[in-house]
Amino acid sequence: MAHVSVPMYWRTIPQRYQMMGQKCKKCGAVNFPPKGVCKYCNASSEFEELQLSGKGKVHTFVLIGAGGAPPEFAEQMKAGGSYPVAIVELAEGPKVIGQMTDVNPKEVKMGMPVKAELKKIYTEEGVIRYGFKFAPDLEGK
Amino acid sequence: MTAGISGYSSYIPRLRIKKEDYAKAWGSFQAAGVSEKAVMSFDEDVLTAASRVSKRALESVPMAPAKVTRFALASTTAPYLEKLLSGTILVNVGMPNSAFATDHTTSTRAGTEAFISGIEHVKASPGGVAVVATADAPRASMWDPMEHPMGAGAAGFVLSSENLIAEVEGYASFAMEHFGERFKPAGEETLQDLNVKKFFASAFTTCTTKACASLLKKLGRKPEDYAHVVIQQPDAKTPGSVAGKLMFNDAQMASGLVSVNLGDLGAASTTVGLVAALDAAKVGDRIIMISYGSGAGSDAISLKVVSDSKPVPSFKDQLEKKEYIDYIQYVKLKGALK
Repeated sequence: MAHVSVPMYWRTIPQRYQMMGQKCKKCGAVNFPPKGVCKYCNASSEFEELQLSGKGKVHTFVLIGAGGAPPEFAEQMKAGGSYPVAIVELAEGPKVIGQMTDVNPKEVKMGMPVKAELKKIYTEEGVIRYGFKFAPDLEGK
Repeated sequence: MTAGISGYSSYIPRLRIKKEDYAKAWGSFQAAGVSEKAVMSFDEDVLTAASRVSKRALESVPMAPAKVTRFALASTTAPYLEKLLSGTILVNVGMPNSAFATDHTTSTRAGTEAFISGIEHVKASPGGVAVVATADAPRASMWDPMEHPMGAGAAGFVLSSENLIAEVEGYASFAMEHFGERFKPAGEETLQDLNVKKFFASAFTTCTTKACASLLKKLGRKPEDYAHVVIQQPDAKTPGSVAGKLMFNDAQMASGLVSVNLGDLGAASTTVGLVAALDAAKVGDRIIMISYGSGAGSDAISLKVVSDSKPVPSFKDQLEKKEYIDYIQYVKLKGALK
């Protein structure tokens, strides 16, 4: 299992619960998840916090089928079947990997508008690891 | 000070199971009047549902999370028996850490408890804004017929004294000692019931009729003053039996009878019913909601609709957006196969 310790998970709560990103003070690019050095200009470690909207669109996606799930998602796969994982292009620019949720896997399409929602990711050490997954954006905006 | 609902929302999981699938598995479906029910997916629980309705309710106003001064969460089905639950939602939604956050649990009355505590906060604190999130997905052993009606859903409210959609006119409560019906002793994994129908009928009827009658008396109202009546829905038949005693009729119950399509929503039963009634209501309509929680207690809340503002997505939109699963898939999603 890709073990993430409880303290490590806790430190990343702003990005996992709130989609808190960072804007590079040198080149202005938005980094998400947050980095030590800007991945776009490779020349600055100075950032300001930026609350992302959580909205974006599916850039591309893949279906994880039987045997394909990493161990922490094996139970989810057994209970719920194949699940889609997408690369989502966020409204603020960065591309991020996340599971798709609240959707029939057959209905996922490239370009579909999505929104980050809090979901259970997996449970380890008795602690439910919440974080975002992407759901179809139905809020009518 | 006037206090009421400035924004509201609901969340209905997209998965459903039909009563026919239960009948196929068990020979019968023991949830009177329920035709299908909503089911949470593997990656959902009451906290993820509460997060969804809190954000939707705030967006419907729209109100910045930073303005919230009070957050109340209600559910009988907490993912942890000890650990603050409301803090998760507070952080996720971006409400201030200084907002007074409370968890309401241990009985299906929790939803109206949270709602009333939010209203009391607004009345006591000028400029105060309360978010109330009620979410539930009650569980019992798959071997127990009491599991049959148990569904899933959530409703959220922004309560304040400005830009009201519905004004809270008043509320009343009734609590007493009662036992043997819908209880979970410490250390037990599943919900229990001694299945003495008379215990339930007497506790349910006593609590709901006393709370309702004292509210009507306090406000000087008659049953016919209400266009919409929402009563706790452990199934789709029980609320009707109490409604008759209170002189409410089927037409008044129609808009908020959500259990027919969603099942028993536990602590979110009357609040999701309220959302359905608000969606259907016209300006000037009065709504009464009457909760019940085993053990036992009831709250009655009277509201008057003052604006025809309706949130997106509507309750009906979500009711129609569904995907059916069979009983085996249901058992797997419930984690009942170990």
